[in-house]
Amino acid sequence: MLQELIQVFIEQFDFFIHAFFTHIKISFISVYFASVLGIGLGLWISKHKKYAQGVISAVSLLYTIPSIALLGFLISISGIGNTTAIIALTLYGLLPMVRSTYTGLLEVDPALIEAARGMGSDEKQILKNVKIPLAFPFIFSAFRNMTTMTIALAGIASFVGAGGLGVAIYRGITTNNVMMIYIGSILVAALAILTDGCLQLLETYFITYRKKGLAFIRYSFRFAWIVVVLVLFPYEYHSNVIKIAGKPTTEGYILAELVSITIEEHTDLKVKLTHGIGGGTGNIHPAMVKGDFDIYSDYTGTIWQVVLKEEEPYNERRFYELNTKYLMEYGLMFKGLYGFNNTYGLAVHKEIADRYQLKTYSDLAKFSNQLIFGAEYDFYQREDGFNALKDAYHFQFKKVVDLDNGLKYQAMANKQIDVMTIFTTDGMLTSSDVVVLEDDLMFYPSYLAGSVIRQATLEEYPQLEDVLLLLENRISDQEMAQMNYEVEVLNKKPSEVAYAFLKEKGLLKK
Amino acid sequence: MSAIVKFEHVSKDYQKKTIIEDFDLEIEEGSFLVIIGSSGSGKTTIMKMINGLVLPSKGNVYVQGKDVLSQDLIALRRSIGYAIQGNVLFPHLTIKENIAYVLNLLKKDQKEIDEVVLKSLRLLNLPEDVLHRYPSQLSGGQNQRVNIARALSNQPRILLMDEPFGALDAIVKYQLQRDLKKMHQELKNTIVFITHDIHEALKLATHILVMDQGKIQQYATVKEIVEKPANAFVAQLLNMACKEIV
Repeated sequence: MLQELIQVFIEQFDFFIHAFFTHIKISFISVYFASVLGIGLGLWISKHKKYAQGVISAVSLLYTIPSIALLGFLISISGIGNTTAIIALTLYGLLPMVRSTYTGLLEVDPALIEAARGMGSDEKQILKNVKIPLAFPFIFSAFRNMTTMTIALAGIASFVGAGGLGVAIYRGITTNNVMMIYIGSILVAALAILTDGCLQLLETYFITYRKKGLAFIRYSFRFAWIVVVLVLFPYEYHSNVIKIAGKPTTEGYILAELVSITIEEHTDLKVKLTHGIGGGTGNIHPAMVKGDFDIYSDYTGTIWQVVLKEEEPYNERRFYELNTKYLMEYGLMFKGLYGFNNTYGLAVHKEIADRYQLKTYSDLAKFSNQLIFGAEYDFYQREDGFNALKDAYHFQFKKVVDLDNGLKYQAMANKQIDVMTIFTTDGMLTSSDVVVLEDDLMFYPSYLAGSVIRQATLEEYPQLEDVLLLLENRISDQEMAQMNYEVEVLNKKPSEVAYAFLKEKGLLKK
Repeated sequence: MSAIVKFEHVSKDYQKKTIIEDFDLEIEEGSFLVIIGSSGSGKTTIMKMINGLVLPSKGNVYVQGKDVLSQDLIALRRSIGYAIQGNVLFPHLTIKENIAYVLNLLKKDQKEIDEVVLKSLRLLNLPEDVLHRYPSQLSGGQNQRVNIARALSNQPRILLMDEPFGALDAIVKYQLQRDLKKMHQELKNTIVFITHDIHEALKLATHILVMDQGKIQQYATVKEIVEKPANAFVAQLLNMACKEIV
């Protein structure tokens, strides 16, 4: 396993190193802001004691908000990307800094303060010469803890489309690549341990040379505004860059690569690709409306239900209605549907299909009393799940079992089940002896995948229209399933798979 | 002789409690005044009114002829020496930095600071090698010597000391008292010294102020007090001292 680990690491060295440095950037900037703000706030409440309890309660409350919730909330304010991650991490870092500064200052021996005052120090000098130096060791050890915590926590930054090692971990989780998860986690831990070691050395140094420690703090405060300007304002603003988002699924990674490679091949535009945005449509949609992203891939049925909040079931006869509403309400539109439909489906073992001559769900209904049906637990609970399906086609299965999603294909290979639920582009379909049946009564809504683009982007770069239409009707269900299989099971890189596909289809200019 | 510190009808209320009421006092320049009294008698309050750490509720305090209330308190405090009890050296500063604390506040130049520091080391019988050590590396007695050296660094004409030898053992205390007395005779500054130890008072003072419950019981030279105690409280205090000696 170690060998495999090293091999994956070396193969994707550039990717990991880039993630590593982005991780450093995000966490260190957050640590910096949390320190400056936290110490500042701590100083302030030690002077205005009546606000102390209120401020500490407020930062404690921030600390208790689950990170996913805080990030989700911040997306609606500061959008997708590093800025949101930095804000969230800064907020989490506040509590240890505020509290340690406040208690550190409070615990300075009153006799020393009295002596300093009696010798003619004004309040500012008491703070600078006595209180802060004496609280310093206390504050510094809180700073060390906070730094380790922030580095670890920065792993979730990928949820809001920020970079860092979380990207590797998250990509590993969504594309079933365990090595990716291991390497990402090891690097996070290594960074945390390394940083803490350096800080420990620094702590020893500062205790010996206290004045240098204080000068360090003073300069940190003095240059705070410069860092703010550098970090927050010119935030990666480039023209001629198309920002593409990817959903956090294997398919999402591949589609985002397909779109971005196609654009780079056929235009002079640059592409900035952000993979694996946590929360999928729910978080990408607002970012598209805001202009954080220009293009991403989504499914017609998803837009209909999640974005347009329509209650009636969607079918493709309503596509024109959907796209018109989408454009009028949000300035977004589908430009080029790829052709495949990633919807729910039923599959049977190849032997069963041959034996009973099964092609459609209606065919299946005739023999259902002789067959065993398997699905994940979830499927029996959902309103549009098993019962609705059974009623629509009058299924009468011999036996119904529930089993974990990951085990379904295994169970069918072992002939423990004869029929099961699937997604029509499941990577596993490619390698298994199963046949996907046709939903002849159109029970399931349609989920055709396609490129979504902002109207404003299309107006600015009209050449994108032809480029996006290059992908129209190019990918079949089987082809998409094959690509998912290559990434999930063969552990190929999404970009490689996408590139190979485009090449095969003649969509590359050599 | 003229009064370097003068209290006129001074009262101090603190949280609706009267600590000092209608207090009058004149301290002669060059005297070594020891204030003695039980705890809660208001002696520390009186001392802190001299350098403006406590301001009078009523009445006026004059230092070198000027009303404390009309002065820049920060400048006043820098001109008055202040040494209080306990471990009050700054633990994060070296002995040299501690002694030069006020001089650094006043931004004196380094050469002058070096001179003053060396002079005060000699005055207080401290070895030169303590300069770059930290207070935690020195003995309790040495710390108190540094505390006094620090209070003297700006050559104050008035030196306030609040039970500076409180926590020391007898031998160290004896040596320090002897050295302080010698120093006072050399410098001829005015010292206001608080204690609740009558032996210490008799040994050091030129004048003694006996306080009880915010009121003056007697204010006189050592000789007068010993010969003519003003009232039973003072007599009892002196009696205690005699008995202990016998």
